[in-house]
Amino acid sequence: SKWKESLLERTISRQHVNLMKHVYGGKSTQTSTTSRDEGDDDEESDDDHFFRPKGEGNKNESKAVDGANASSEDYSKFTNFFNDNNVESIRDRFVTGDWSKAALR
Amino acid sequence: MLKTKYKRLKGSQILRQRLLLATLSHTPVLIEDIRTDETWPGLRPHEVSFLRLMEKICDDSFIEINETGTKLKYKPGIVMGGRHLVHDCGTSRAIGYFLEPLIVLALFGRKPLSINLKGITNDSKDPSVDTFKSTTLPMLKHFGVDLKDVVLKIESRGVPPHGGGEVTLTLPTVKSLSAISWTEEGMVKSIRGVSFSTRVSSQFEHAMITSARGVFNRLLPDVHIFTDHRKGPQAGNSPGFGISLVAETTKGCFISADTTVSYGHAGESTEFEEEKKELPPPEDIGEQMAYALLGEINQGGVVDSTHQGLLFLLCALCPADVSKVRVGKLTPYGIETLRNIEDFLKVMFNIEADPSNGTVVLKCVGSGMINLSRKHS
Repeated sequence: SKWKESLLERTISRQHVNLMKHVYGGKSTQTSTTSRDEGDDDEESDDDHFFRPKGEGNKNESKAVDGANASSEDYSKFTNFFNDNNVESIRDRFVTGDWSKAALR
Repeated sequence: MLKTKYKRLKGSQILRQRLLLATLSHTPVLIEDIRTDETWPGLRPHEVSFLRLMEKICDDSFIEINETGTKLKYKPGIVMGGRHLVHDCGTSRAIGYFLEPLIVLALFGRKPLSINLKGITNDSKDPSVDTFKSTTLPMLKHFGVDLKDVVLKIESRGVPPHGGGEVTLTLPTVKSLSAISWTEEGMVKSIRGVSFSTRVSSQFEHAMITSARGVFNRLLPDVHIFTDHRKGPQAGNSPGFGISLVAETTKGCFISADTTVSYGHAGESTEFEEEKKELPPPEDIGEQMAYALLGEINQGGVVDSTHQGLLFLLCALCPADVSKVRVGKLTPYGIETLRNIEDFLKVMFNIEADPSNGTVVLKCVGSGMINLSRKHS
């Protein structure tokens, strides 16, 4: 419904605010209520001397190829699969799509 | 005589990148606690092999590893480069693992590098050599590297577990990179790719291409995927097949996705035993990779997720000038790279999310890296 849309938007924008902190680790430990931790469970504990930002679980969620990030091994390869069966949803990223929409990006 | 002051680090994370940054910033490092709690402690064969490679292309570097391999002392020397070098990368990781740091290191060498690397050319864990050709090396152009001196030739292919592949890499040196403002990703205008097979029927290649095309043809007519069938000594020691896809945009960005299917790495745990009996059908692999490429295109950004780390690294190695790039969602490896860059080069990125399309814009002032050892001819 309509009231949810603005909520979702706000949630997303709030998550992005702390990107600097996600990467470099902030001094103030402001816990954001919007950050989700569910992806953190499958992390191995062998890299625990590194600061683990709270929101990072969201980024790990995407289905990586067999264990690309499951361990602390040194992998740069990262695959995001396109889960939506409707390929039309990304048509505007192609030259066959709407150029005026793409220009807004 | 001054006593060398070592930068103390712990753990085995992103070892190759730490060594790369240590060399470029002339920081001696002492890494402790390398897999101390594991059944097989210490450095892995590919990490030792990477150290040997560093030794080969650098002069006056000093490497000391303790008996169990859990402690590593590294004092960087001068990157020399040189012609007709040969290095055996072993079979524990693919050549891509070695190429990633090597292409950055070689740019800051004294002499241009040409090296012959032996090992696994394609596997599922590291970017394949095809991706290096199609995506990674063209990236250097944006930073002012002349692409006509950059050559990666695939002499023969090798897949896990036994490898047997061989590539020749030629790279020029630069005085310094040039800072970039690279935020427009453009629209995808063409899709190219290579499918290959080693020691199996060439039908595997065609099956992968057909299923991948089936996905793309709904979106774009300009799709060409080439085949590279290898046999005899050019096919390495193990059977396998794979596909590497790359999308080119109107703004000259390359977005890649690749994978390889084979009977797994030697000495891998028994959970893979089941898979050893049968490989997935090539049709599925083709389609899967097509969707992986669409996923990367959907992310936005001027490079794909795999190349984020390299992009940040190159930005940080620019002269003291502002660089600005746009990427998709930050990957764990990208984040680790940013932290390492801050640690060694003292370059901190300004990271801002763009909520309108889910991309991230990063800005930084380069560390002012200048290649002092470069030989003038």
